[in-house]
Amino acid sequence: MSQVELALFLESAVRLGIPLALAAMGETITERSGVINIGIEGSIIAGALGGSLGAIAFGGAGLGVAFGALTGLLVAFVFAVFAIGLGADQIITGTAVTIGGLGMTGALYQVVFGVNGMELSVPMLAPAAIPWLSDIPVIGSALFAQAPTAYFAYVMAPLAWYVLFKTAWGLELRATGEAPVAAEAAGVRVRAVRFSATLFGGAMAGIAGAHLALAHAGAFAENMSAGKGFIAIAVVALGRWNPIIVLFAALFFGGASALQFLLQALGFDLAYQIFLAFPYILTLAALAGWVGKSQAPAALALPWEPNR
Amino acid sequence: MKKKAMKIGNGYMSQLKLQPLAAALIWVTTACVGQGSDTPESDFRAALLTAGPVTDVGWYAGGYAGLMMIEDSMGASVSHQQTATPAEFDEAFIAYASSGYGIIFAHGNEYQDAAIRAGQEFPDVTIVVSGGGRVSPNVVPLIFRLEEGSYLAGVTAAYVTESKVVGMVGGVEIPPARGAFLAFEAGVHAVDPEIEVLQVYTGDWDDLAAAKEATVAQLSQGADVIIHNLDNASLAVFQAVREVVEEGRVAYAIGMNSDQNELAPEVVLGSVVIRIADAFHTTAQMWQEGNVGGAPIYANTEQGVIEFVINPMLRDRLSDEELERISSTKALIRAGEIDVPRVVFVEGEPEDH
Repeated sequence: MSQVELALFLESAVRLGIPLALAAMGETITERSGVINIGIEGSIIAGALGGSLGAIAFGGAGLGVAFGALTGLLVAFVFAVFAIGLGADQIITGTAVTIGGLGMTGALYQVVFGVNGMELSVPMLAPAAIPWLSDIPVIGSALFAQAPTAYFAYVMAPLAWYVLFKTAWGLELRATGEAPVAAEAAGVRVRAVRFSATLFGGAMAGIAGAHLALAHAGAFAENMSAGKGFIAIAVVALGRWNPIIVLFAALFFGGASALQFLLQALGFDLAYQIFLAFPYILTLAALAGWVGKSQAPAALALPWEPNR
Repeated sequence: MKKKAMKIGNGYMSQLKLQPLAAALIWVTTACVGQGSDTPESDFRAALLTAGPVTDVGWYAGGYAGLMMIEDSMGASVSHQQTATPAEFDEAFIAYASSGYGIIFAHGNEYQDAAIRAGQEFPDVTIVVSGGGRVSPNVVPLIFRLEEGSYLAGVTAAYVTESKVVGMVGGVEIPPARGAFLAFEAGVHAVDPEIEVLQVYTGDWDDLAAAKEATVAQLSQGADVIIHNLDNASLAVFQAVREVVEEGRVAYAIGMNSDQNELAPEVVLGSVVIRIADAFHTTAQMWQEGNVGGAPIYANTEQGVIEFVINPMLRDRLSDEELERISSTKALIRAGEIDVPRVVFVEGEPEDH
């Protein structure tokens, strides 16, 4: 592989990894509070539609991303009301929210744009190369000539890590996810913490969706989230519930996906399904090999009823 | 869908609390799939099942247009349902067959087994399966000879490629998709056997991100003409080609299933068009005359159902001589004088049909 080819491959890897990184980082915070929101798939697709509609309405992709974050947050709010407010089973609620999100965005899209869709008319979030950094050989253009949402992910990873592990608020959040009873006894408002962590996760998934539509594809299409929410949940485990490792895990998964497209394009004579399975097999191997004894928050997915 | 979600519940409390949400979701999903299903007035009722959204500006959109055509010009009451999972196929057939729909268009190869089961249960209902592979007295495959258009696309691609590398991006390798790519390759090699043909499947018809990176991978391997066999995700193929053209490269995409030339007129060289609506309409007319059953229906270039439409904006990229050769190839295919390769998948179908 020449240096140019390697650079092109890495660019593709980062492009495929960024939406996963954004969604997985949000989900990391949500899961750290003891809530597993498998409805982020619904937030991603809602963010993709909201982002597209926002970008068209406001005539700019930047505001579109903000609008995408808001729609992702709203979907997570529905999840939070049932799963946290009413203490419903998180997996069932998350499934319902995902199915509802996919169906509702499809219906809304058809109402707004008719059966012919919006085609390729969304304002795009153009890549913005960072001077100097993007000139680094091989990795420079891959990491630093991306859409602004990618830089947002790079900044969010250490920031989320800092808040999670170095601040009082982060300690309360982790306590809520590890031992809600003790946290409550210490005066932490468990539900409020879980609620806000879930909304944050939804907003991040919304940004991931907006990134897919505005920075990557240049279009919204029904079902375009294509299971990325579920992959993001695997990425959270792969990243050991640590925002910085999660960023690298997402890029690793992006790299595996990019590699399988490249291998197919190079004409390796193997059933394509084997290539398609490649990122998942790598992830499984990594999960089994180095996550080892899982460090999931102890109270993950357990509904919480305040002690009255 | 909701039923399934309820079944996997483990505590009655959680199920109870989910009910308002589930009810809301049922309302939303029925609201979104029930389009065109006004209260049936006519005795002639036709239904359409799709496994994907009809906003794909391609395969499913064509099916929906066909249904609308049957409603408008034949006065039928029509209904459309989008089924998300194979588990829903049987339910959808039963729902339509038991409520007076005489003809059901199941728009995709994936429906064939459920169609045979429903056909046995409801012998008075006719089910037409697009790209289906199994035949029974009241279940008939509607076979689109997509290969014929794809062959012409291949010939055209071979004329415009400068790098002598062309690419194909597919969703899932179902027999009709494999046949289309095989014919594209044959068309390319009929002009120049030296041209390299790349192939990538993404495993998903709607995943725009995957389709875009698959296209980018082929473009970076030097391909300068990319054909697709996708639904929604085709938009990302055009977008990827558009981006390299903006950077100053010369590259083209080729549309599939419906006329996609307008979607990105500066890069889409032409489209392999299936006039799905016309084929549905003709099939419905044949059915009313009692001529549908027991044998596959074929739709091809001869009837004008399959076409390769060159984008008028990019027509000047081909010389007059090349345009002439493309139309003479079309004429030869129509006359049955070119042996376009294809994948035989209808059971009992002769190789040379």
